[in-house]
Amino acid sequence: MNPTLSELEAKATRGKAAFGSDAHIVCDNLVRIYKTEGVEVVALQGLDLVIDEGELVAIVGASGSGKSTLLNVLSGLDVPTAGVARVAGMDLLSMTPKDRLRYRRSVVGFIWQQTARNLLPYLNARENVELPMKLAGVPRKDRGRAMELLELLGVASCAGRRIPEMSGGEQQRVAIAVALANSPQLILADEPTGELDSETSGQVFEALRTANRQLGVTVVIVTHDPMVAGQVDRTIGIRDGRTSSETLRREGAEGEIVAEEYAVLDRVGRLQLPRDFMNALNMERRVRLELESDHIGVWPAREEPSDER
Amino acid sequence: MRIALLARAHAGALVVLFVLTALACLLVSGLPRATQAAFDRALQRALISAPAVRTDLTVAGESRSPREDLHEPAAFAERERRWRALLPATLRPLVAPAGHMSAKTSLTPVTGTGGHTYINLGWLSDADRRVDWVAGRAPGAPSTTRFQGQRIPLFEVGVVEEALDQMNLRLGDTRTLGESDFAAVRIVGVFRAKDPADRYWTHNTDILHVTKLQPPGKLDFEFHTTTLIPDAALAALSGESRNLTYRWVLPLNGQAASALAVPGIGAGVAELERVLTLQATASTPYRLETGLPKVLGDFTAGLATAQTVMYLLLAGLLAVALGVIVLGVRLLTDRLDQTLALARARGGSLRQVAGTGAALTAAAVVPAALAGYALAFLVPGPVLPLAHLGPAFVLVAGVGFGAARVALAHRTPLHERRDDVAAARPSARRITVEALVVVLALTGAYLLRARGLSAQAGLDPFLLLVPIALTLAAALVTVRCYPYPLRLLVRLAARGRGAVPFLGLTRAARARAAGGLPVLILLPALAVSVFAAVISDGITGTQRLASWQQVGAPIKVTSTIEIPAATIDRIRATPGVEQVVTAQTARVQLGYSSERAEAIAVDVAQWRRLLAGAPIGLPELPGGPSALVSPELRDRGTLDIGWQSRIKAKVAGAIDAVPGFYRTGKFVVLPQDVLTRPAVNTLLIKGDVAPGEVARLVPSATVESQEGALAAIQGDPLTGAVRTTLVVVTVALALYALVAVILSLVVGAADRARAVAFLRTLGLSDRQAQRLTMLEVLPMVLVTALVGFGLGLALPAALGPGVDLSAYAGDLPVGGYSPDLLTPGALAAGLALVAVLGAYAHTALDRRRDLGGALRAGDLS
Repeated sequence: MNPTLSELEAKATRGKAAFGSDAHIVCDNLVRIYKTEGVEVVALQGLDLVIDEGELVAIVGASGSGKSTLLNVLSGLDVPTAGVARVAGMDLLSMTPKDRLRYRRSVVGFIWQQTARNLLPYLNARENVELPMKLAGVPRKDRGRAMELLELLGVASCAGRRIPEMSGGEQQRVAIAVALANSPQLILADEPTGELDSETSGQVFEALRTANRQLGVTVVIVTHDPMVAGQVDRTIGIRDGRTSSETLRREGAEGEIVAEEYAVLDRVGRLQLPRDFMNALNMERRVRLELESDHIGVWPAREEPSDER
Repeated sequence: MRIALLARAHAGALVVLFVLTALACLLVSGLPRATQAAFDRALQRALISAPAVRTDLTVAGESRSPREDLHEPAAFAERERRWRALLPATLRPLVAPAGHMSAKTSLTPVTGTGGHTYINLGWLSDADRRVDWVAGRAPGAPSTTRFQGQRIPLFEVGVVEEALDQMNLRLGDTRTLGESDFAAVRIVGVFRAKDPADRYWTHNTDILHVTKLQPPGKLDFEFHTTTLIPDAALAALSGESRNLTYRWVLPLNGQAASALAVPGIGAGVAELERVLTLQATASTPYRLETGLPKVLGDFTAGLATAQTVMYLLLAGLLAVALGVIVLGVRLLTDRLDQTLALARARGGSLRQVAGTGAALTAAAVVPAALAGYALAFLVPGPVLPLAHLGPAFVLVAGVGFGAARVALAHRTPLHERRDDVAAARPSARRITVEALVVVLALTGAYLLRARGLSAQAGLDPFLLLVPIALTLAAALVTVRCYPYPLRLLVRLAARGRGAVPFLGLTRAARARAAGGLPVLILLPALAVSVFAAVISDGITGTQRLASWQQVGAPIKVTSTIEIPAATIDRIRATPGVEQVVTAQTARVQLGYSSERAEAIAVDVAQWRRLLAGAPIGLPELPGGPSALVSPELRDRGTLDIGWQSRIKAKVAGAIDAVPGFYRTGKFVVLPQDVLTRPAVNTLLIKGDVAPGEVARLVPSATVESQEGALAAIQGDPLTGAVRTTLVVVTVALALYALVAVILSLVVGAADRARAVAFLRTLGLSDRQAQRLTMLEVLPMVLVTALVGFGLGLALPAALGPGVDLSAYAGDLPVGGYSPDLLTPGALAAGLALVAVLGAYAHTALDRRRDLGGALRAGDLS
């Protein structure tokens, strides 16, 4: 018996949903356009991204590559223009304002670059951590978690201190505790070490790793600093509003850390070649592809200019 | 969100908001009270200074049959209780308990005098307290006597002193009264009023004075007097064949009157009139005699204008105060912005965030409004609904704006502005609304001028709305248009060598629409204060003019008898006296008919010299027998005047008034030398001498001084209230304007600091940075000052017929506004200067700021 139209449709959609359906964060062909009075700025141009639960991932890109926009979308502060963005099974495009509020309260926590912007200067560290709980309506007796978090992140001694009385590293660690206050499944950090020296940066990364390992929280760090790659499991590169490359870090057979860089193949088969590679072989406009048994070869189009004629 | 901690963190902005709100509530709640209190005082003064017979409520009824006669005081008292019971509730608190009653006959002829002499019989319930018997005794009970074979009643009566001379009466005389029904009176006493000046006697002038009447077409005078009869005589007094009127006077207690109750009083009088007509018996109708509605009507006419001006100023003040409060709230919410953005991003719902904004605003505004409201109770005066509504309105507006602004700003959790997205151009909707406001304002002004003030007394809301709409329209046009001429200047500056003028003017021309808020505040503040100053000036000038017109000289001495030359010399010799002009006034015959005119013979040239510097004057009078005349005598050519001798005088010109003497009717000004026998009865004096001193030298004369007249005009409570309010409002508005400039500077401080810090990294010096800020602020302040100044000057003209201030200027219409631009000009210039100085001080303080801090503070991403 031939399938009915609706069965075909169901089959088709089932097939689509398969892309990253088991992942924690899924972005599929994500577009974000800023528009005022006819002037458009396309910040995300069809970005694809899949992050599994419990991963510690860095998103790296130059200034203006769209990484902050991506973070704003993932944190529920901004609504994408088109595409798919799903976090922990929640569709970020079709959420009502109420859902979005609940999402910000209980699913996601985040940390901004400016230490001063993460914390209210007139509250002490513990009160800052309690603030999101208060906003979410957590009863007073359940707010003991604030102290636990500060202890976990090694800043318990700062609990009673106001923000200006803490060092930058302490402030950022308290900010991580604030982000973790309502037990989110995901933490987003926008250049968390941008204003810190390397030693303090190390402490902050350690705190993020602690949160990732001990609390099982997915951590996404956005940075323009390629050195961060050494601190995380996976680094995703963004260029011109699209994911361009991925670097995986794994332990080699002899216990050494092996980092392998991959180009990202999107769902329709598009590939971004690293600019260095293209420049080295003077690749422009057209390339020639050849399918071999275990790989695809890419050659500059110029090599055999007259054969085809 | 720990409001207390937030409040402590933003204490500065909260204190500013507190002060602004408290001041606004105090003004809005207190000023109407003070003015209402002044209105009450004015009403009380109007009621007390009017003759009692006009203000008191008198119930009158004629007795026309013996059955209706009242034969004993108790019967009167019983009726009085009845009338008092009929008083409507609105009149009851106004009527004083102690009234009096009277029974008087009128037109009671003395038998055989051919209707030339009338001796009326009058009984006063409180005669014994009101008169002293200066000769004879108080009259006793009536008896009878025989006349033409009939037994007729014989009344013992007392007559007033002046009747003895004028009517040829003597103590002990007996006269027969009546032409058909006779009665006799025997004069047993002569009385004198204990206090002739008491308002009481205005009810009984016929008893206190002889009335002399010249009936039309007759040469002889009629004499009327009303004699006093005792209580016992009431038994013999009947209205059957005499005109007998009973009166119950219910005295009005002017001190208890309040201006708010005036409409109620009017209605109460009408109601009393109605119920009194229902009390009429078959032969005795009762009626109410009172001039109260007229007195109240006159008062209300003056009051209506005062109220309009008051509310006009109050509305302007309220608008400006609200504008500044809104600016204060903006300052606070701007400071809160980062905190609330963080809370919103971390899971604060819109309600939580807006609630925090509202709560923090309320933390300043609520106690401030309560404080202002409470302080307003120190201002004496009746509590109007406005006294409660004003602060409530300020409160709601302040908190509402705080909540709304926060809610709008944090509607979406991320509200950062991307630098790479173009700024919005003015929307068509906004331009349409602005055009609508402008068109409505202009139409309103046109209609107001065409229609004038609504005739019925009370507040005309249209008159209130039009100036506000005009101000708003001017502000919108200013906000919309002032960048354009600036951009021209920018082009010029771009060609120049200096970078600072170019940068400063560019920043001024490209300021965001938010820069419009100070304009919206500054402009009405300036317009209303200039308007107030212009009106105040107009009133002052007209009051001065009115005082000069009333007196005609610094000091005027008028005497009913001739002032001896020796006295005049003594006055001339008095220290301080600079000049004395003698004059003679009389009522003179024109031609040989019965036409009469008022005349004054005076040396006009000397009088003109005396008036040098005064706002009044007289045209020159050419030598020889010539005259200045009133407009209606203008065309007579040569006047034939009968004054001591026959004077022929050529008409030299017409004048509208002789200042200090005549304003209406026919009058003539003649040179003094035309009189054959000058008998000076008027002196015009200039110099630094006390009127009392002059009065001592000329005991027979009345001495008036221009300063005294001016003080009397200015002393009127209504006038005082208007002027005080004008001054208070002007000062308050000036302060508000200053605060608006400073607040707008503070609001834009972070942005400006960042721009300046950036420019300083490029090599801008401190001094240049200051000049830059000044140039940025200056165009807005200057343009607003100019437009506000112009609007303030134009408002009185635009409102034209709507505002009639003659009641405050000695009944002269206040017109020809702004002959003197000094005060309003100085006001506008002063405000602009203070605003610029404020800006300068702000930049000077700003210099201390650390460069990196400024750059970092504004750096958001």
